[in-house]
Amino acid sequence: MKKRIDPKRMESIVLGIISFLSLLILWQTAIWITGTTRFPSPTTVIVRFFRALVEPIGPYTVIGHVAWSFSRVFVGYSLAALLGITLGLTMGWFPYVRAAFKPLFDLLRPIAPLAWIPLAILWMGIEEKSKYFLIFVASFVPFTLNAYAGSIKADRQLIGAAKMLGAKNNQLFFKIVVPSSVPQIFSGAQVALSNAWMTMLAAEMIRSSYGIGWVIIAGQQVNDMAQMIASMIAIGIVGFLLATGMRLLERRFLVWNNQGI
Amino acid sequence: MQVSKRFCLKIVSALSILLFLLIWYLTTDVLKTVPPTSLPSPIKVCQTFVEKLHNTAPDGATLGVHILASLQVSLTGFTLGCVIGIPLGIFMAWFHRFDLLTKPVFDFLRTIPPIAFIPIMIILLGIGVLAKASIVFLSAFIPCVINTYTGIKATKPVHIWVAQTFGASRMRTLWKVAVPTALPFIFTGMKVSLNAAWTSLLAAEMLGSSKGLGFMIQMGRLLIRADVVVVGMITIGFIGFILSAILDYLETTFVKGGA
Repeated sequence: MKKRIDPKRMESIVLGIISFLSLLILWQTAIWITGTTRFPSPTTVIVRFFRALVEPIGPYTVIGHVAWSFSRVFVGYSLAALLGITLGLTMGWFPYVRAAFKPLFDLLRPIAPLAWIPLAILWMGIEEKSKYFLIFVASFVPFTLNAYAGSIKADRQLIGAAKMLGAKNNQLFFKIVVPSSVPQIFSGAQVALSNAWMTMLAAEMIRSSYGIGWVIIAGQQVNDMAQMIASMIAIGIVGFLLATGMRLLERRFLVWNNQGI
Repeated sequence: MQVSKRFCLKIVSALSILLFLLIWYLTTDVLKTVPPTSLPSPIKVCQTFVEKLHNTAPDGATLGVHILASLQVSLTGFTLGCVIGIPLGIFMAWFHRFDLLTKPVFDFLRTIPPIAFIPIMIILLGIGVLAKASIVFLSAFIPCVINTYTGIKATKPVHIWVAQTFGASRMRTLWKVAVPTALPFIFTGMKVSLNAAWTSLLAAEMLGSSKGLGFMIQMGRLLIRADVVVVGMITIGFIGFILSAILDYLETTFVKGGA
């Protein structure tokens, strides 16, 4: 097999590069023409971004701040995954669990996770605990909803067949309902991850003393646009890596599910 | 048998909500295990709610004014996001070159949560309506584009071939075949973006504003008035619920056939 670049692929790469370059050039010329000092030029931002990787801003470098933010997301997200999936699956399968928890869940669900920020700070102070709680709230809802939808949609025919072969209710739950809702849970996990990442940012911007959200606010306080944009780029990169990692996990564990791409 | 079981389930549901309220009441008003500065009792919340309807203390405006301010900004941003986002999504999905040219930039932009833009917008545009509306616009715009794009791309090639066989032009195919196919996706996108708009508006109001529900709960925290915070949260949840109910209703009237 000869290695040749597909012309269609080539075209998409070239056009992609052109679009990015023209954006940067547009930005740079806009700065030159207006001669503004309020907004940094792309070169300043790029230089700033690489400097921030080695020079500390506040207590840590940008990498350290991202690590802190990531640890917060990780704790809240894992807790939410554990509890949300359990609640969602049991709510879908056991009518009494559904009757007991669904109304409460529906009552609290419309409250946007960000609306919990002031209350979380009043309850748990400005330390790590309130951030874990907020990230938990933000990712708990999509986990529960998707696990619930997945377990409700479990194939009736499979359940009927298993029942006919004498499976008990618990067996039905663990052998049919749980495995068949895994794809749905994965799509919930992706929503939950982007929710968690966003809530973490908001929580850090409103009250914190380190973390990537704090870097943006620190930039705002000293009117340092370059620092703000550089940290936004860092946020974008980490968000992109997280989403890609999630998709890889899904592809690896859900090889059997041909619905996904 | 069937009826009695359904009745039992209803009872359990009612009990669970009652139990929730009871525990809330007991821990705050009766046993006083939680100080009122961190969680007010349900009765206090009701009192504050009624009081907030006409009293401007402690944050300078009544509840109605805050609600109007928030609704105005979020609906402006949301409408703009839809009006610009849906056509952009259609163009990106339908014209191949345009897609290749815009998709990389768009993909990069959407990895940054709109909330991260708030501080920059505050510096550039101040804390007025414009800064908040542009944040809301940004967060409503992205889901609209993504869902419209997916919807147009989901058009079955067979349907397009049929249209071509009958001599439809490319624009006509888009209008008569692809857009109707995409309509359910577009509505999903609008629902997602309404939710995102409402959420990011809260963040914008908490970070820099002088009225609106987000500002109200933020002031409630600063003044340690937990009752105001809880009233604000309930109002936010209720309005979010109403807004998505309206969209659900519109979807069932406009989308025929379903996906």
